[in-house]
This record gives sequence, structure tokens and C-alpha cells, in this order.
Amino acid sequence: MCDYNRTHMSKNLSNLSGRKGLQHNLYELLGNSAEANEGTPNPKDLKRLAKDFLMGRANTYGAASFYDFLKPENKGKKVYYCNGSSCMTAGTQNKVMDKLKSNFKEEEIGHICCLGRCHENSSFHYEGKNYSGDSINQIDEIIQQKTKVADAYTIGHSGPQILTGNDLTLDEVKNTLKDIFRKGRETILSDIKASGLRGRGGAGFPIGFKLESAKNTPSDSRFIVCNADEGDPGAYSDRYLMEFQPMKLLLGMLIAGYVVGAEWGVLYIRFEYPESLEIINKAIETLEKENLIGENILGSDFSYFFKTIKARGAYICGEETSLLSSIEGQRAEVRVRPPYPTQEGLFNKPTVVNNVETLACLPFVINHGGEAYKSIGRGKSTGTKLVSLDGFFNNPGIYEVEMGTPFQEVIENLGGGLKEPIKAMHIGGPLGGLVPKEKWGDLTVDFESFAEHGFLLGHASVVCIPMDFPLVKYVQHLFQFTSDESCGKCFPCRLGSKRGAEMFEKAQAGNYSIDEELLTDLLTTLETGSLCALGGGLPLPIKNALQYFRNEFEPYFSKNHIAV
Amino acid sequence: MNYPTDPKYSKEEWDKLSKAFIDGKPFVMEKGETILNFVRRYKEKGLVPTLCDAPNLEAFGSCRVCSVEVALTENGPTKTMASCHTPLNEGMYVYTSTEAVKKLRKNIIELVLTDHPLDCLTCEVNGNCELQTVAAQVGIRDVRYPKGENHQDCDKDLSHPYMTSDFSKCINCYRCVRACDEVQGQFVLSMAGRGFDAHIVKGDNVSFMESDCVSCGACAQACPTSAISDVYQSKAIIAEKTTRTVCTYCGVGCNLEVSTTSNKILSIQAPYEAEANAGHTCLKGRYAFQFYNHPERLNSPMIKRNGEFEKVSWDEVYEFLANKFTTIKSDYGADAIAGISSARCTNEENYLMQKFIRAVIGTNNIDGCARVCHSPTALGMQRTFGTGAATNSIEDIDHTECMMVIGANPTAAHPVTGAKIKQRALKGKTLIVIDPRKTELANLADYHIALRPGTNVAVLNMMLRYIIDEGLVDESFIETRTEGFEDFKANLLKLDLDEMAKIAKVDKELVRKAAIAYAKSSAAMSFHGLGVTEHSQGTFTVMQIADLAMITGNIGRKGVGVNPLRGQNNVQGAADMGVQPHQGAGYLDVTKPDIIKKYEDFYDVKMPGEIGYKIPEMFEAAIAGKLKALWIIGEDVVQTDPNTQKVIKALNSLDLLIVQELFMTETAKHADVILPGASFLEKSGTFTNGERRVQRVQAAVEPIEGTKPDGQIIVDMMNKMGYAQPDYDAATMLEEISQIVPFFAGAKWDTLGDNGKQWPILPDGTDTKILHGETFRRGKGKFYYYDFKESEEITSHGKDYPYIITTNRDLEHYNCGAMTRRTKNVEIHTEDVLWINPKDAQAKGIVNGDLVCVESPRGKVDIKAFVTEGVNEGVLSTTFHFPEIMVNNITSDVHDSEAKCPEYKVVSVNIRKARKTHMRKEGELV
Repeated sequence: MCDYNRTHMSKNLSNLSGRKGLQHNLYELLGNSAEANEGTPNPKDLKRLAKDFLMGRANTYGAASFYDFLKPENKGKKVYYCNGSSCMTAGTQNKVMDKLKSNFKEEEIGHICCLGRCHENSSFHYEGKNYSGDSINQIDEIIQQKTKVADAYTIGHSGPQILTGNDLTLDEVKNTLKDIFRKGRETILSDIKASGLRGRGGAGFPIGFKLESAKNTPSDSRFIVCNADEGDPGAYSDRYLMEFQPMKLLLGMLIAGYVVGAEWGVLYIRFEYPESLEIINKAIETLEKENLIGENILGSDFSYFFKTIKARGAYICGEETSLLSSIEGQRAEVRVRPPYPTQEGLFNKPTVVNNVETLACLPFVINHGGEAYKSIGRGKSTGTKLVSLDGFFNNPGIYEVEMGTPFQEVIENLGGGLKEPIKAMHIGGPLGGLVPKEKWGDLTVDFESFAEHGFLLGHASVVCIPMDFPLVKYVQHLFQFTSDESCGKCFPCRLGSKRGAEMFEKAQAGNYSIDEELLTDLLTTLETGSLCALGGGLPLPIKNALQYFRNEFEPYFSKNHIAV
Repeated sequence: MNYPTDPKYSKEEWDKLSKAFIDGKPFVMEKGETILNFVRRYKEKGLVPTLCDAPNLEAFGSCRVCSVEVALTENGPTKTMASCHTPLNEGMYVYTSTEAVKKLRKNIIELVLTDHPLDCLTCEVNGNCELQTVAAQVGIRDVRYPKGENHQDCDKDLSHPYMTSDFSKCINCYRCVRACDEVQGQFVLSMAGRGFDAHIVKGDNVSFMESDCVSCGACAQACPTSAISDVYQSKAIIAEKTTRTVCTYCGVGCNLEVSTTSNKILSIQAPYEAEANAGHTCLKGRYAFQFYNHPERLNSPMIKRNGEFEKVSWDEVYEFLANKFTTIKSDYGADAIAGISSARCTNEENYLMQKFIRAVIGTNNIDGCARVCHSPTALGMQRTFGTGAATNSIEDIDHTECMMVIGANPTAAHPVTGAKIKQRALKGKTLIVIDPRKTELANLADYHIALRPGTNVAVLNMMLRYIIDEGLVDESFIETRTEGFEDFKANLLKLDLDEMAKIAKVDKELVRKAAIAYAKSSAAMSFHGLGVTEHSQGTFTVMQIADLAMITGNIGRKGVGVNPLRGQNNVQGAADMGVQPHQGAGYLDVTKPDIIKKYEDFYDVKMPGEIGYKIPEMFEAAIAGKLKALWIIGEDVVQTDPNTQKVIKALNSLDLLIVQELFMTETAKHADVILPGASFLEKSGTFTNGERRVQRVQAAVEPIEGTKPDGQIIVDMMNKMGYAQPDYDAATMLEEISQIVPFFAGAKWDTLGDNGKQWPILPDGTDTKILHGETFRRGKGKFYYYDFKESEEITSHGKDYPYIITTNRDLEHYNCGAMTRRTKNVEIHTEDVLWINPKDAQAKGIVNGDLVCVESPRGKVDIKAFVTEGVNEGVLSTTFHFPEIMVNNITSDVHDSEAKCPEYKVVSVNIRKARKTHMRKEGELV
């Protein structure tokens, strides 16, 4: 049988975008046009950019329509309230909406999914800045630019400090760079491999393998991409790192770049984190001034540049292949693997994509040695982990704990216990497990423990669900979230999440009883059939909810279909 | 793994092979294949159903219906995986039909049906819908979900003459989007929105007509439902039969599948397994077929009496012609008669025509349209390599690292090959374009050398020189495979690079970089078109392109070579068959006694031994009174040959002009006798495409009443003139050809197969994909050096006529447009326009849409201005698809010094805003 052109990948748009390089970036230009045109690129710009990049008008139009803060519906929006799960379960947003409505027209108010202010909720975004907690009460002053309100949360730790504590000084950055140039790429790579450092984005894939694969893939150029699209509601540890530990992150990217021979480090930072973007950009400027990035750094043969990309609102961009398409100015649709990004990534070139927290660990690994890093933690989960605690805790904040730390210790000793009784914690983002109270004591903070108990460590974010919050409503929210955020490519996720949301919506409206067999079929279809972890991961919390809180669902199920 | 499931392997061989398992049984795997590919090689298609998969597209993984369970050990723990994009590993256990995957597939299809109208019985693709098929395969009975939001209220798009859409039928499989991207490279389609709202858009959410769609139909063919279709409802299953044949337009030679019912053509699709076009074709091949039964088809022989055409019977016209030929021959000799055969006709018909002229009339006055297009290619490549044909194949584009496109606009004129080149460039392979116009490929090129028309030789000499200067010559190739290099090099070293750059108006550095890119590439392939040949130095330019290939060792292997983009569907074949005044069938020299004897023995008549007239010489001879009768088949010389007034004068000087045509063309109007021929859809035979592929043309319908296959008309005349020739039949004619044309020795109708064979075809039927592998046809490749010489057109007229106009083609129309203007293509592309640089336009007070009077020493025409950066200052460009313009009133009769191909590409003109404000209407005097 003739196999036509299946031997080479079609990535025409990636290639066309890549021809212009990172300095003339399509995604950035789309964003610029949106900012200059009340929130959505004007049609003329879309046409011009398509022509400029030798793409079709459909490509720029289709790309713009994908992102919350580029799509035509965003036009004229002035203020956005957070509709993420943390603010939802905290029950703060009705008041926020009411206050906003008295200051803005209905059509000027949009929503935004999670500003990383989960520690104090009541979050909203106005004119490029985030507000939370008590700020809504000062909305008039905010509009009149009379006040600047910063948020505050606890930063704590219970063991070794790798990611908390002081950020690196410029001297420390310089010395580490000198050190890696002296040791050479092979030594650095083997040190990183020895550390057992695994990706903190959720999948837990060892970073050493990614670096090695990208390094060994023949190519004329390579990229390091930092996934700073921390979209999981409840998580704000990457935001913390970018805002308080920028040098650790940037040095981590430099180290990764040096190992694979990349010339560019790209930081894809959420639209929802304007402060992070600003701080990172300043840190890059500082490194530039100190000649710690650029051509032939410190006289070595290593040249490295940073590019920050301001994301435009799409949860799916946390998925690495979508993120790469997004940087290219394409629709952020999930790509099939293989080829893996380390083989064909950004602009079809070998690319290492890692999460903020993972990359920020690298300076420690280099400065203390891979073995030292490996000695921290438990088993295959080496090192420490940042945990994000939401506003239901007495001490909401970011805590660095050694992998293997009992979860109960985090709740009690670090979080200071809970303000009110809650029935479950949703840990690790919307696709993480829904952990009922009775299971908290069984867990330790590491990949294996969570997996063994049928949950997911993920990004170790914690969203509490209070006793009075119906899980039926929460499950509908999860389906709806997925339906809104699905890239739309694979059938199970695009259609299944919508149908799931409709089933629960109709059931709550009282005119439909859920066929439990159908629901089970739907969850299995999503779980086994989806292309990526969005559709594939959605069933986990829902199955947890059905398992541990069955009584809440029974009234909505039809009687004649009892699952076996 | 201890038993061979395939008896073709011995136990020993079997044990050594890499294997994987399908439902428990071992099968031999191929390296790098996907699970789906593996299963499909051994099992029936329905075993693993698919929706988003398509034969000519990359694996995509959206529908997930192809999911299978995979284990690493027998009955070990399994994982569900989409088979279309998961690579197969050795020893994998693939379970195609477990209860779990069967249920998964069913549940996915159920979800699809929640957003799909359930009106199969009234749908145009009922019975040929992949969703319908898969739904039946997975055994879906009902949709259990409550009625929810859907996309079933989409409006149909009926804006376009060919393309239609009804997105309520769309299942979001992206096959159309991917076809537009991966096959055509046009990027007209994309998704818009996100999540459940994701939906297909054309352009920036416009209709097909308003979009940049090139109507190739790849999306419609790719669509598994009727979401995108065409006005012919190509996917409907109402056809009684389908016929595989070959397109009659350009030299790509697309295979077509023609659906017919009751002797009427319903629609045309492109077969996926076609080697020439792999499921793709363009709007001419797929949609522009309505001309075949257009009311204006000539449907009776006619004789002009008292200035009026009178319909006559075939018997009468044959009688009339036989008498005329006999009289002219006896009064003026055989050389007073000539024939122009048609590259649109089959090999067999061309062979018959040259046989008629040579063996029945007794003259070598036979020529074809290759004279006005690729005659310099045939001659130049014969001189350098020994064979006047493409050295490589279309599929070599998949293996090349660098493409040089010179004087060709393949995305318009050879759309399928153009799309393939474009795809390769989009993969990041180097593209060099040498062309005065900013063509679609030029936009995409790494190096676009926008030279002044007529200076190809200057630029190519520069490139050759830079390659020498940079030390990038392939010394061992030159040493072992070529001759004449030292002289060649010595001449190049004398070249004044600055002067050449000035002459060609090019940036020296750009030329140098392009030369280096070509020379450094591990496999460089060149493509050239009429922008090379239709020049006074056309043959020399072809030889230089060949020099470039030889100097860098880019000959005789995959992904390299010199590849002329042959213009007409069978222009290669016409020359192969002897439609040339100096070479008979098989390129044999008609002046050599041994060859004459060979032909005489074969035809059993006395054969002429003098070289006959080339087309321009026929016109000269007619004007001079030496040529009395001319039989033209399927060529509109009045509209398409240069210097129209001279052509008309020549035709009017004849005693007998016979025009065998489909339509009353500008040339036919001047005829004394009209013979109504048949279109490619109505007859059988073979066409030879630009990569020497001899393919079967098979009649899809009967010739319309009153017409005959052109071959039969010639046969009838041969018999009428006393030469016994059996009735026209593709198989028996090809048999005769195979006995006289050496490189057709193994070409037999019954064994050509669906994809034909590339000549030389050896007696045992083996064909040839790549020429000159070990040695050149002429032994060693020969380097010839030629200095740039300014065209006489410029030296004589350049001062008074300071602009240069160059002519070209548009995608939607084919040459004189006799066929395409009688299809809905005219609704897409309505007229010829004049490309003019904004600065020139401004200087002459011309704005977009103004009529511009373009005047040359031969005459003047008015053309509508299209102001564009696509041409440099001083350069103009236009097409001659429409008889309203008759651009060839201004073209010159300067010819290539060697092959006599006219210089259509360099015409000295002056321009001004026209006094008229409307175009000439058809029938109005020129």
C-alpha cells in the first residue's frame, strides 16, 4: 500500500511563522493589534498579517477567534471578573459582579479564568491589573487610579528551601554560568539526569530525558520554552516564582539552553498574570545590562536570548503542544505525539518545554549537584514541591515542602487548618482528583502517593469545596469549563464535555434525569478516547465525586438505570 | 512467533523479520509505520473504522474512532490508543475489536450524531457518506443524549460556481482544512472559535466566492460527508459507471475518475493512488469539463462555399479533401502540403497525423505546438544530454532539498506540480525562483531573482561563474560524466559579472547566494517553463540549466535533474511520436538513409528525406505561395501564435486550410474545411505527461453526435487517399507505435496499468523513473558556453518602445481558452488584464481598471490595467486567454535562434491610457 506523504509531518503554518523568527512574532502581533483595537485585532490587521506571513486569511481569523482576549467577543470589555473554581467555591463573585455592574455597563464586563488570587478570592482584572480580597470595596478609587492594591499571602516551608527564600543575586547567576561553561554540557546534563528532577507541570516527566532528546536531535536551531501558563484554578505557585524568584527561573532556562544548544528561551506567560510578565521582563533587562545574556555570554561560545510571550487566554495552552502552536500564532490545538516537541517543537525545531517550577529548580541542581537534589524527597519524587493553598485555609499561601511530606501536615502545620468545615479538596487543578476529607490523612505530597490513592498531585494546588456547595453543580462546572476550554480538536472532548454539561444542567433544572449508564459511557469515552489530558483527565474528579459523594447525585439519576 | 502467517516466507526468513500482532496473530511490520497502516495492510478497511483519516493527509488524531487496544505482551495489560498516529513497535499486540474499543467507537459516533442532522435519505452523499458507513459499522441504533445545543442551522454556501458548503453536516474532522493546507497549500480553510463552538471558516468568515479559494476541490473530495461538496455533487452515488482517464489540460497528467450516467458526465474526482497526482487535481481537471457538450461544439464537417460554412457529410468532406490533396500534390508537389498536429490529442492520433503527412502525402512538413513552447527544451537537452525530456519524476520533489524554478509559474500553469513544489518549500526546503514576475512561488522563495525579461542567459552564466568561484563544482562528476568543461570554464572566467548584473537588472549578491544554495544542496532539482524557452536564446538557456545540473552533479539520482514543465497534456508525446519536421516517430533523423529505409520498410511506401517546415516557416511559405494546403488539428494559431496579422495573412494565402477542432476558434473562422473532432472525454489512446509517463486515456462517453475521434478522421483520410490503415483503436495503434518507436518497445495497452509507464519502456515492460543514471544518452554530458545576446526585438525597437511586455497564463484558463471559456471558469476569471508597476502606472496616469493601449511595432491592443508590485518598473505582463484582447497582435516574430520557438516573453511596447473605455466585443474587427 502506498503511504503517500505520511513520512514527513505537515507543519506548514509552523514553518511560515518560524520564517519570521521570534522577533517578528505573529502571536505577539495579533495581541498588539487587539490592544490597539479595544480587545480584538481589527480585520484589516488580520488580513495584513496573513499576507505578511504568507498564510491564509482564515489562519489569522481562526487564531484570533480562539483566544479569550483576542476573539471578537472581547471587543469593548473593560473589566473582567474571575470565574475560576476557587472564587466560585469561595462564593465571592456575586458581590464582585454587583459592584462591577454599578460601575460598568453589562457589555463592558467579561470573565477571566483564575487570576491566581485564590488565597483571597473576590478577584477581578481591570486595565491590565489584578485585584482581589478587599479591593472590590475600593472599586471607585481603583477606577480613578487613586489606589494601588497589592495582594498578600504567606510564603512558607517545612524543609529544605530550593524554591523559596531569597532569589539569586546577579553574582550568583554569573558564578553559576561560569561554572556551567567550565564543566561543559555533558557534565551538566548528567548532573541534571542524576537529580531525578521531574516536570512539575503535572505529567512528572524527567527533564533530563527531554534535554537529552532535544540535544541529540539534529537541527540548525533549538528552543527552550517555559510553560508559564499556570491555568489551573487554585494554583499560583508559578506566579509566586515569577514574581519572587525570577532569577532562579531565568538561570534555569539558561542552563537548559546551554545543555541543548538553544539560542532562545521563550517564556509563555499568562495574560492573567500581568505582574509576572512585568517582573520577568525587568529581570531579563537586568541580565541584559549585566551582559549575562546575549551573544557569547561571558566570553563563552554560548549565545542566548529571552523572549516573553504574553498569552491571550486559553487554558489548553498549558498543554505543551498547544502552547507551541500558540507561540506560532496558530490556534492552540493539541498536536499528536510523536513527534515529541524535543524532536519537532516550536517552528518544527527541537524544543524543550518545561514548567516554571521545574526550570527554577535547575540552579539548585547545578550549584549543589544532582545527587544532593536527589537526596531530598521520596523515591522517584525527588526534591521539593510548592503547594498552593486557597482562602479556606487559615494561612493561605505558597508552601515549599519536601516530596513525601504528609498532606495532613501541610493542612494543619503550614496551612494552619481550615476556616470552616469543607467536604472535599480539589487538588491539582480541574483535572486533578477530588479528595474527600477521609482521604486527606492517607496522602503524602508526591506523585506516587496521589496516584496510588486514585488522585493526582498535578500542580499541587488546593481548592476547597465547602459543605454547602452542591457537587452536582461542581461537576457541571467542570464539564462546562472543559467545554469552554477544549481546543475543539478531538471528538470526545469537544462533544462529550458539552453533552456532560448539558446533562447536569438539565438535571438541575428539574426536567431531566441522568441516565447513569450513559454518564458512565461518557466518562469512559472521555477518559480513554481523548487526545490529551484535558478530555482525558476530566473524568477523574467526576468519578471521585460519584464515588465519594454518591448520595448527592442519586436524586438526579433516573431510577431505571442503575449502574452495575 | 513461531509460525509464518504469510506463506511467502520460509521459517528462517520469518524468524528474522520484525513482527507485531493483530488480534493475536503475527504479521510482518514495516519500519516506522503506524498501527493503522499496519492493520490496513493486512485486514479489511472496516476492521478499524476511521473518520478523520484520509489517504493523502497526515495522521491527525481528532476523531479517535480508530482507537485500538495495545498490549506489550500477549494478553497483558492494555492501553487504548488512536491507531492512526501511534507508531507500531516490534512485538506489539494490537487488539482491534475488543468489547471496550467497540463500545468506545460506538460512543464516539453517538456523540457525533448529537450534532448531525439525521436526514441521510435526502442527503446528497447518502450511500457514500463515511459517517453513515462508520455509524453502521459500529452498530449505532439511537442517540441517548437529551437534545442539546447544535450547529444544524448553518446556511448553505452556494456563492461559488463550483464549490458548495453546508456546515450543518460538518463533523469537525478537519479533513478539508488539512487538504487545503497539506495538499494545495492555499490556507483558505481553518477552524474558528474554540471548544464546542469550533467551526470551519473560509477566509475571514466569508463565502467560497469571496475567499481566496482556487477551486481545486481537494476539500470537497476530502470531506467525509456533504459539508463541503461541489455543484456536481461529486460524492453522490448516482453514477452508472466511473472511467479512469487522464486530464487533457496541462502536462502534469493528472489521473481522473469520470462519473457518468446515460452517456452524460456527472462529475470528476482524482484517484488517490494515482502516481502523477495522488488524489489531487486543479479546477481545470476536476470541474472544467462542461465544454464537452457545450452547444457551440462543432458537430458536422463543413466546407466554406462563397464565404459561408456549409454542413456536409463525412463522405463528402473526405471526397472533397482527397481531391484537393491530390490536385495540390500533382500541381505543386507534396511539399506544398503541411500538417500541424495537436499536443492535446493522443499519442496514437499524433502518430497517425505525422504518418499521414509523411507516408501518405510524402512530405516532412509536420510540426506541432511544441514549436511555440518547448522545442528549445527538446533540442537543448538533446544536445547536452542526448534526450529531450525531463530527467526525473514528479515524485522526486519529495526527495529534493533545493528547487530552482525558472521561467515558470507552476501554481497557475501546472497546478498539481506547483502545489507539490509549494508544499516542499513550506517544509523548509530551499526555493530559488528566477522570474520577472512575483509569482506565487516567488512570494515563498528564499531567493527571487526578478530579472529583466530576456536576460536568462546573463543570470545563469553569473550563477555558473559563482559556483566556479566558490569552488563548489562537483569535480568527480565533471571528470567522469561530462566533456567540454575546460573551455566552458575558461569562457565563464572571462565573464564580466557587473555588466551581466546591470544587463539583467539584478542584485549580484542575490544571484551569488542563490548559486551557492543550489550548488551546496545535497539534491537540487530544476523546473523550467516557457519563460526559458520562448526567447531568442531559449535553447541556450535550456543548455545552461543543464550545465548547472552537470557542474554540481545534480543528474541521475533521486531529487535532482532538469525538469521542463511541459505545457500541454501531450506535448511530450507529440514530439515522441514524430510531430517534428526533422525527426520521425521516436526522434529518428528523417534525413539519414538508414532511417529512411527503416521507415520505408515499416510503412511500405517511399518516404521523404528532406527536413520539412517548422510552423513559422509554414507561414512564411504560405505567404510566399509555396505552401498551398495546411491541415491544423486542435490549435488556434490565430489567437496563440505571435504576430497575429502575419498569421492571418499566411492562412488567407493558402488554397486549402483544414481546421479540425471542437469549437469555431479564431483560426477555424479562416478555414476552408472544418472537421469536428472529439474531446478527450470521448476517445481512447495514451497521453505522455511531462515526466515521460505514458498513461491510458479512456473514453468516458461516446463522441457527441456528428463528431469523430480525431484519430478516426485521420484514418478515414488515409484510407480515402489509398493507404490502408485499420480503424482507430488505442490498443492496436499503440502496438504499431511500439514496433517503430524504440523507447516504446514495451508499451502495450493491456499492461500500462492505471498509472502508466515512464519511457524508455523496455521490451519486457520495465519503465524508467530517472534518466542518465550511469551514463548520458549521448555518452558524456556536453558543456556548451554561450554569451548573453540581447534580443533583436530590444536592439531594433527598444528605443522607441521602452517597455517590455511578457505573456503568461492564469490558473483558471487554458491557453486560448477555447475549452475553459466554455465552462464556469469564466465566472471566476473573466478577462485578461495587464500587470503594471505602480510607478509606471502613475507616470502614465493609469489607475487600476483603466484600459491601457499597448502598442508594439506590429500593432496595438487595449487591456485593462492591474496595478501591482508583481512586476518591476518597465515590465508589463498579460495573458491571451480571451479573444477579445488578441494580445498576439503585438507579439513579434523574433524566434529562438535554434529551435524557432517564438519570443513571446520579450515584446517591446509603449503604453498610454486608451482612448476607448470599453473592450472589443466578440465579432468586432481586430
